[in-house]
Amino acid sequence: MKKSIWKFGTREVVYSAIGAALYAVLAVSTNFLQIPSAGNVSVRPAVAIPMFFGIVFGPIVGFIAGFLGNIISDLIAGYGFWFWWDLGNGLMGFIPGLIAASLVSYKDWKSILKAELFVILGVLVGMGVAAISEMWVSGADINTVIFGNFVPAVIPNLINGLILVPILMIAYDAIAKRSGR
Amino acid sequence: MLVTWRYRPRNSLMSRFDPRARWIFSLAFLFAATMFWDARFLAFYFFIGFAWYFSGGASFRDTKRGWLLVGVLLTMMIVVNTIITGGGAGGVVPEGGTLVWPEGIPLPFADTVWHFGLTWERLWFAICQILRIGGISAVFLIIPFTMDPRVYGVTFRGLGLPDRFAYSMELAFRYVPTLARDFGTTVDAQRARGYEVERVKGGLVRQILRLAPLIVPVTMNSILMGEDVTNAMDLRCFGQRPRTWLYELKYRWQDYALIVFSLLILVGGIAMKYGFQIGNFWVPDFWLHLVGS
Repeated sequence: MKKSIWKFGTREVVYSAIGAALYAVLAVSTNFLQIPSAGNVSVRPAVAIPMFFGIVFGPIVGFIAGFLGNIISDLIAGYGFWFWWDLGNGLMGFIPGLIAASLVSYKDWKSILKAELFVILGVLVGMGVAAISEMWVSGADINTVIFGNFVPAVIPNLINGLILVPILMIAYDAIAKRSGR
Repeated sequence: MLVTWRYRPRNSLMSRFDPRARWIFSLAFLFAATMFWDARFLAFYFFIGFAWYFSGGASFRDTKRGWLLVGVLLTMMIVVNTIITGGGAGGVVPEGGTLVWPEGIPLPFADTVWHFGLTWERLWFAICQILRIGGISAVFLIIPFTMDPRVYGVTFRGLGLPDRFAYSMELAFRYVPTLARDFGTTVDAQRARGYEVERVKGGLVRQILRLAPLIVPVTMNSILMGEDVTNAMDLRCFGQRPRTWLYELKYRWQDYALIVFSLLILVGGIAMKYGFQIGNFWVPDFWLHLVGS
């Protein structure tokens, strides 16, 4: 039976919630990691979670995991509510999720390569939307948006996604058969 | 690992409003405030934003982390965007203007002057940025401290989100303590095997790779747990008919008043901006007279 990436049944409800909670918990618990010689910028390996959940469970799950996960982590950390960055995080999970139906195995190199390409696209679009929204909200010019918001957000997210998503895919391949679905 | 919410019950004015009315106000405020660059309008929104913030009853000690983040972003934007690069300030400030240092800045130890293009108009724009970002931050920063995490699901259901999405939200808040506990257990288990959490050092790639032994087991365990939860929910016919919620929300007169006020600031803002064409960037005369131009 052909998988539909737009289905939102019980399974998707549960995995959206788990993805969001996991993203929030991992984001908060790895706040101690800093980019070397760039204080105040956290590495946040948790961004790989919405990307991975998108790839495995579809774009809606990926979007909710990123969008809601970022809201919850900001709620826990006390950073407030920043809708446009939540939306950007949601898109980072949504776009890799577009390939969910086309993957059969999670460990063959073609699937991993495809996932990596969509991770790159997801990070560029997600952080692009979030950064550009600063022009509307804060009145920043395009140079500030690119060098002050976009680049510092894209680089660590890309590195995290490109390293951790394949590791999670390979680990998931081993347990996928146990689920019986 | 201990994960705590920033929320705690406060007997504040804000807590008397329905969470749905508060979200409607916050979003209407955001869209209204971002339409203007006129300091007179922005001062109005700034005042409203901070009145709302103080009605939440949270102390500065509670919210200082959020304000620190806002302060860093605001400083970066004003110093880099408005003062150093100028950059046309997003096309808002017209080209030209009155230079702050028309003669240039004499450089020490050199017989030359530095022609710095900072204008008084750009400095006024910086004040507008402070008013606008400060007001918006006040409204959104207070949310985690005043909104009970147990009512997020029912709130967004009440705002029109489909049942399944709202329940997913509810479930996510419910899972946070469970997954935080699982993460703590995994950290302890890896420590027992010789993994040193405190020694996650080195370059960026090395740091991320060293985190895999923590992230992978927690993620895979939660996926396996999710299968059991899915089966349990399916067995209880989840999604077959509209669900009921543990907490019920009811609008009262003050909520209707807040919603009407929210609509007024939004619709009034749209009418001012697009109907009467007012609210664009404006520099008061006194500002330019102040500098003798």
